[in-house]
Amino acid sequence: MNQLIKSVAITLPIFLIIGCGDLDKPSNERVIGGEIVVDFSAKMMKESLISQGMVDENSTVFGYKAYKIPYTTTDEEGLEVKVSGLFVIPTGMPPAVDEIGLSMVSDDHGTIFANADAPTVIASNYGTPDGSSIILTSMGGFATLQPDYIGFGDSNDHYHPFILKKSLASTTIDFIKAVKIFSTNNEIKLNNQLFLTGYSEGGYATLATLQKIEADAELTVTMANPMAGPYDLNVTAFGVLSAPTLSVPSFMAELGYAYAKAYDQTLSTIINEPYASKLPTLVNGSLQREAIDAELTYETTGVNGLFNPTFVGNFFADPNYWFREAMVENSVHAWKPKTSVRLIHCEGDEVIPYGIAQITEATMKAMGAEDVALIPVEATLGLDANITHGECGMKAYGLTTQIFSDVRKATIGY
Amino acid sequence: MKKIVILSIVTSSLVMAGAYKVPEQSINSMALGAAYIAHTTGADSAYFNPANMSFLSDKQHMEAGLTLAHLPENRFSGVQAFSATEFHPADGKTETENLLLPYLHYVSKPIGNIRWGASLTVPGGLTKRWKSPYQKLFAEEFTLKVIELNPVLSYKIADNFAIGGGARFIYSEGVVNSDGGDAGKAIKREMEGNTVEYGYNLAMTYKPTSDINLAATYRSNIDLAEDGQANLYLGEVGKQFDAEVTVPLPAALNFAISKTWADKVTLEFVYERTYWSAYESLDFKYGSPIQPALVSSFDDLKARNWKDTDTFRVGATIEMNNDITFMVGYTKDETPAPKENISYELPDTDAELFSMGIRVKATDAITWGLAYLHDEKESITLMPGDNHGGIIGSFSGGGADLFTAGVTYEF
Repeated sequence: MNQLIKSVAITLPIFLIIGCGDLDKPSNERVIGGEIVVDFSAKMMKESLISQGMVDENSTVFGYKAYKIPYTTTDEEGLEVKVSGLFVIPTGMPPAVDEIGLSMVSDDHGTIFANADAPTVIASNYGTPDGSSIILTSMGGFATLQPDYIGFGDSNDHYHPFILKKSLASTTIDFIKAVKIFSTNNEIKLNNQLFLTGYSEGGYATLATLQKIEADAELTVTMANPMAGPYDLNVTAFGVLSAPTLSVPSFMAELGYAYAKAYDQTLSTIINEPYASKLPTLVNGSLQREAIDAELTYETTGVNGLFNPTFVGNFFADPNYWFREAMVENSVHAWKPKTSVRLIHCEGDEVIPYGIAQITEATMKAMGAEDVALIPVEATLGLDANITHGECGMKAYGLTTQIFSDVRKATIGY
Repeated sequence: MKKIVILSIVTSSLVMAGAYKVPEQSINSMALGAAYIAHTTGADSAYFNPANMSFLSDKQHMEAGLTLAHLPENRFSGVQAFSATEFHPADGKTETENLLLPYLHYVSKPIGNIRWGASLTVPGGLTKRWKSPYQKLFAEEFTLKVIELNPVLSYKIADNFAIGGGARFIYSEGVVNSDGGDAGKAIKREMEGNTVEYGYNLAMTYKPTSDINLAATYRSNIDLAEDGQANLYLGEVGKQFDAEVTVPLPAALNFAISKTWADKVTLEFVYERTYWSAYESLDFKYGSPIQPALVSSFDDLKARNWKDTDTFRVGATIEMNNDITFMVGYTKDETPAPKENISYELPDTDAELFSMGIRVKATDAITWGLAYLHDEKESITLMPGDNHGGIIGSFSGGGADLFTAGVTYEF
């Protein structure tokens, strides 16, 4: 019996203590001031891009490593906001590039409504390379900077200042500064080249950013390629509000919502009910554009329209009406950039008409800009037909990446 | 992590005999290929047929031992298809495993018509570790470890009839690792989980004559809900999730008959029905949504649809003299895994098992024994369209060689 007790005494404690350990956390790369959210090797990226028909076996493809970086910026009201951005670097670059450092491209994203579509949220949730940063980083070899903007990512509880110049520029510039600090702290070598680009709302943000950078003179921009943005807001607003129907009602509803917030106006004086009451919920970051459009009307104004007829009437009739002044104040086309600017736009764009880019080029040149040019995407790429705003995006990014690469090659040799 | 290592030493296991159930847990059962239900003669009655505890001599009985399991490599020759247009040569093989499985059985002295006992065993499990690219994508390592503590009681209703039963306390651990890196898929999974589960077992023995035993035993199904964490990687970046996966340790019903001639030679036949149909799917569940790109590989339910199996065992025990007993056994075992759902984590096939062993009486109280069992798996070929997982080719090898050494003590 003693032997039995001894055996059980030896065995049972082992039985009871086994397996209480937890699985160690994933051994991800540790970084200072952020977190790694995507890391695909050059081999993986190439296989993935080949399978999608984006490159062939002979193409040079770099790896893709993305970090989410939290930082602080300033909103339209001048208050500090904790925001986030995605910093993507290529890996597997030639040793010479490691010596020279990476050229940066600040890439302001287009209009989104769902927080799930913000760059850091996509990267964190999906863990995969996504969108324009694939072209700029894995195919172009640039370090790509994508601020989420106020209202998305870490600041999802804040309203998004849609097409509002000050905060879009601040968000972008503060992210560039944050990335420089992050890169120093984590021994990621950058060179002094800084390119700016962005599509749609991002195109607008690009010119807003360039204007503020030149005004502040803290940073130097190598080249800016705004793409398909509504640079002249006054002309854009006249065009939209004078049309009987809206092509994408959510765009204008978001604009009305953001401007009501920023200019302290009552939303129902801009947007008709019941839409005014719905909007805070519709644009809180939980819905995609299609779902929001379904809750709105496509009629521009009138009793059943989206916009309050009084608001529309005042806009057209009164040059001093607050919204007219706000449109002028937030337009980004009427100034004289010193930096080289290439306005990339598709002639078939049905959302942001090509004419907006033509006006911008002409205005800047008229104000003395020496190196501003409008580049029509279809003609430059030799496309047979004009393409829409949605179709244009990736082709515009490809063209911009090629232009930036040519400049980089001519200036620093790779 | 240190504690995990301790477990590995204690229960590094496990054997693929009838999928991942391991019926052999003593000298006699190993030597007889588990044709050891009706005519159990020692402390291992507590595990194989607790009703038979009532017919043991009025002493305490104890047996302890160790089984060395040598698991030869599984080999696969063929291709892995991911779609009608994507398929890759996928020849590969598993690691050879050498593992130690301990066991302990005890039966008390009778208290009136009641007797109690207990067993500590490793009644199930498996481990498959593939090193070839396309197998690693699915099962770089798939390990299930099971330890059972089984206290039992018997009650002698009559001199020729007894019943028994007990509670089953199961501790189990699972490890699932998958790595698609070498196969060009930037995905990886590391999962560890464990669980404590409960079940029961029942037994009865009837002796119509002094030389014939009729017995039936039943062990209940126990779902092993391995609960732990999973690290899921896309590229080089991983996230940790709470995770759970359930596999059954299936119910088993045994009917057995034995006949003894001249108190020297005993022949036993066992029919075992194992209720593997409880294993319908392999379904990993996570505490929060995983990366969408990983859902099809690591989250979608994988059908298994195993079927109940019939196993036939025959064993002969020959007492050469008062001190030496010789045993041989043969088993025809059936795989529960249908062709369409055979997978790399358990490429199980029908098998024949051959076993033999010897017991030697060292003193009146102590007997030692050795046993050997060879598990010979059939090869299987999967033609295009046979397998839902896109496996096209032949599995061969596998099986097991088991060596058991043990000591019994009566006092």
